[in-house]
Amino acid sequence: MNFFGIWICLITLFVIGMGFVWVIRGERYFGYLWWPYVMALGAACIVGSFFITNDWVSALCGAAGGSLIWGATELKEQAVRGELGWYPFNEKKIDPPFVNVIKKWKAPSL
Amino acid sequence: MDFNLVGLAAALATFFGIWAGHVSVRKIERETVRLWIPTVIALALGLGLWVASTLTSNLPLSAASGILGVTLLWDALEFHRQQARIKHGHAPANPHNPRHAKILAEYPAATTADLLDRDPIGRAYTAQEIASMKAGGR
Repeated sequence: MNFFGIWICLITLFVIGMGFVWVIRGERYFGYLWWPYVMALGAACIVGSFFITNDWVSALCGAAGGSLIWGATELKEQAVRGELGWYPFNEKKIDPPFVNVIKKWKAPSL
Repeated sequence: MDFNLVGLAAALATFFGIWAGHVSVRKIERETVRLWIPTVIALALGLGLWVASTLTSNLPLSAASGILGVTLLWDALEFHRQQARIKHGHAPANPHNPRHAKILAEYPAATTADLLDRDPIGRAYTAQEIASMKAGGR
């Protein structure tokens, strides 16, 4: 019996659970326009996982990357949830660098 | 130089597991009258993938099976969380589904409008605006 997948999936469940937390908190304080940076960070985690020889660390890095990319696509909906009053709304958000360029791009939502 | 593919397998299983679960839970919950049926199927598939992940010595496959399994087990729970969202009006009810029709009759906050299907506007909506959105759907 190989329990690698079971342990990795339990760690991934924790990573996904933390995704709920950072999407809610991150959107509240920083806003959804940070999505390209979050997506790039996720992609960097996945690319980085190729070069990690330890299988456990590589799997954790990859799962974190997948979760970050998913979270990037959730930020827009989370912004609307805040505006609808389902979560606390913060008007004074910290804009990302190149915010005016990012505003011209369509934010992903799956 | 050899690339370690365990991380890529974990990343793909995580992203596509969450994505497929997110979309399919909403669609299946919307159409299904007896919610226990997809719940049992998701539980069985999730546990099956967990068993499969222990039976392979291939680490990328073991990781991917385990992660897809746990996302399916989570989806089994999500069917019921989605129903709770329908009751609160946080997801659109399907009036053609008898279970949802009952929710629409019993829960004043329930609506057929999809309040999330819009771009952010940068300010909080007023109670009147939200009531108007819900009235448009119900």
